[in-house]
Amino acid sequence: MSAADFLNLFIAAVLLAGVYAAMSVGMTIIYGVMKIVNLAHAGFLMLGAYFVFEAYDRFKIDPLLGVLLAFPVFFFIGMGVHWLLVRRIATSDQPTLTSLLLLFGVWLVLQNLGYLIWGNSDRAILTPRTLSSVEIGPISFPTIRLAVFIVAVASLVGLEFILHKTWFGRSVRALMQNKEAGQIVGVNVNRTAQIAFGVGIAFAGAAGGLLAMLYSFNPDFGASFQLRAFVIIVLGGLESFGGVAVGSLILALAETFVILILPASYQPAIAFSLLVVALIVLPEGIAGLWAKRRRWA
Amino acid sequence: MGQEAPVGVKEGADSGGSSVSRFVSVVVPLLLLASLAALPLASPSPNIIRLLFVTLTLVTASVGWNLIGGFAGQISFGFAVFYGLGAYTTALSINGGVPPLIAFLLGAIVAAVASLLIGLPTFRLKGPYFAIATIGVSEAVRVVMMNVPFTGGASGYRIIDKTRFVQSHHYYTALVLAVLAVGISILVRRSKLGLALIAIREDQDAASDLGVNPFVAKLLVHALAAALAGAAGGVYARYALFIDPDGVFAFRNGVAILLMPIIGGVGTIWGPVIGAFVYGLIHEEVVANFPQAHLLIFGSLLILIILFEPGGVVGLFKKFMRSLRARSSVGSHS
Repeated sequence: MSAADFLNLFIAAVLLAGVYAAMSVGMTIIYGVMKIVNLAHAGFLMLGAYFVFEAYDRFKIDPLLGVLLAFPVFFFIGMGVHWLLVRRIATSDQPTLTSLLLLFGVWLVLQNLGYLIWGNSDRAILTPRTLSSVEIGPISFPTIRLAVFIVAVASLVGLEFILHKTWFGRSVRALMQNKEAGQIVGVNVNRTAQIAFGVGIAFAGAAGGLLAMLYSFNPDFGASFQLRAFVIIVLGGLESFGGVAVGSLILALAETFVILILPASYQPAIAFSLLVVALIVLPEGIAGLWAKRRRWA
Repeated sequence: MGQEAPVGVKEGADSGGSSVSRFVSVVVPLLLLASLAALPLASPSPNIIRLLFVTLTLVTASVGWNLIGGFAGQISFGFAVFYGLGAYTTALSINGGVPPLIAFLLGAIVAAVASLLIGLPTFRLKGPYFAIATIGVSEAVRVVMMNVPFTGGASGYRIIDKTRFVQSHHYYTALVLAVLAVGISILVRRSKLGLALIAIREDQDAASDLGVNPFVAKLLVHALAAALAGAAGGVYARYALFIDPDGVFAFRNGVAILLMPIIGGVGTIWGPVIGAFVYGLIHEEVVANFPQAHLLIFGSLLILIILFEPGGVVGLFKKFMRSLRARSSVGSHS
């Protein structure tokens, strides 16, 4: 493999990692604040894809703009789902069976609503951007990947700003670190949980829109990405935002470079293999590794 | 510290004190079993036998799932893996000239070994890892089975069964296996292992303080559950004569195996059986009438059960009995 090939693959992996991070961060917020594994994530990824598709198809809204629109729309959808269903179940400091099953039910409902509305044929979002590419010397990559990467990273920077500069962000971080202590200093747990759920779903919807620009999709679309998001947040230690970034990069690199040794049809199994390896080698994720380093130092 | 509000009924189904509940938990199952056993003698249409055959394999898988999901409280979305591995192992064995009963056993063994691959990395950890891994393993195994050449990959695998096809033989095989599964479920529930599993479900830290080894207990019962699902898959494969990865390894099979105990009453002896009968007998009708929406219906059902009656059919029945008893005691006082 020449150096240019290697560089091309590496850049492809980094661009992919950006979308993966945007896709996984919503799951981390929800897990961090509520200790709920959002099994309905896949359903909202799928809805986000169709949202951006319909906006482009019917109203000629540019898909990148559509993704920005998806943030507020899915924020309110998420708040609604929390109000209607999620707030009714007991939470704990471990994910409860009830929450797993409830959100799994929500996923089934969303997925099959998708089948009911859009049928099972594959759709794709094709814009003039889809087929053009950027070339810098021997390196070339599709423009759309770069655009998606920029939107993904910008949204993550926006989230970082919210988490560190707003009262809501401070409440979220407080609850992630210690729920009881957060309550003692006056964090409204239910309110924060509802907004956090909304933000988590907003990111799921927007990430679904971003993924829809890169891949064709059908109502079953979210499932494999949901698994990837799981792997990423497990690699990242479940509730660390820095861990999500590193986890995304590891998974994207693994998936990109594995085609050198395995046929591409095995690619969907990579995420799972990485999950098993991560659980054996790094059960606390990469963030746990950092914590250990700090303890040793 | 531990998990609050676990799904399911706290006390076992066999804690019946009154004569009514003893009647319900002993006589009704025996009557049902007798009528199921006698049914082929009445020579109903082959389609009814087929429907009951499929339902009985579902009972086995559902009761198996309940061992790990209901008693130990470890939700698995990946039982399609065990069902599929059992089906493929049985298919390969029968084509290799192995007698059917041994082939089913091999299917169960392969499924049990596969269960260790999921259990070993995840059961050591607390938290959602097991449930997450079961979603992944389902997809990973399906992808691998689509690509391995010796079972025909995605185009499926045909079984050449040299014995003469007698439908009632298949039916009785499924019936015996289902009875075996319920028997194992009762034995586990009454054993020390069963108590350990329920302790783990309620509070894993407290359980290990009391000398239970959660890792070993979960691993053991998961293997047992997988073996039952594998045997069910094997019995189904010998009947179907053709299996393919999208059929037996489909994620929706894993969903079905999880739905049945929840419909019936998770963590009880008879709940998974009732749930399997409800699901097995109605789901073909539902699929036929609402081809696009049947999972929508089952998904909504799952949400409603979780929010309003986590005890499923058994929970509803107990509530009903309690209100009856309350009413009659009020009546006798007046």
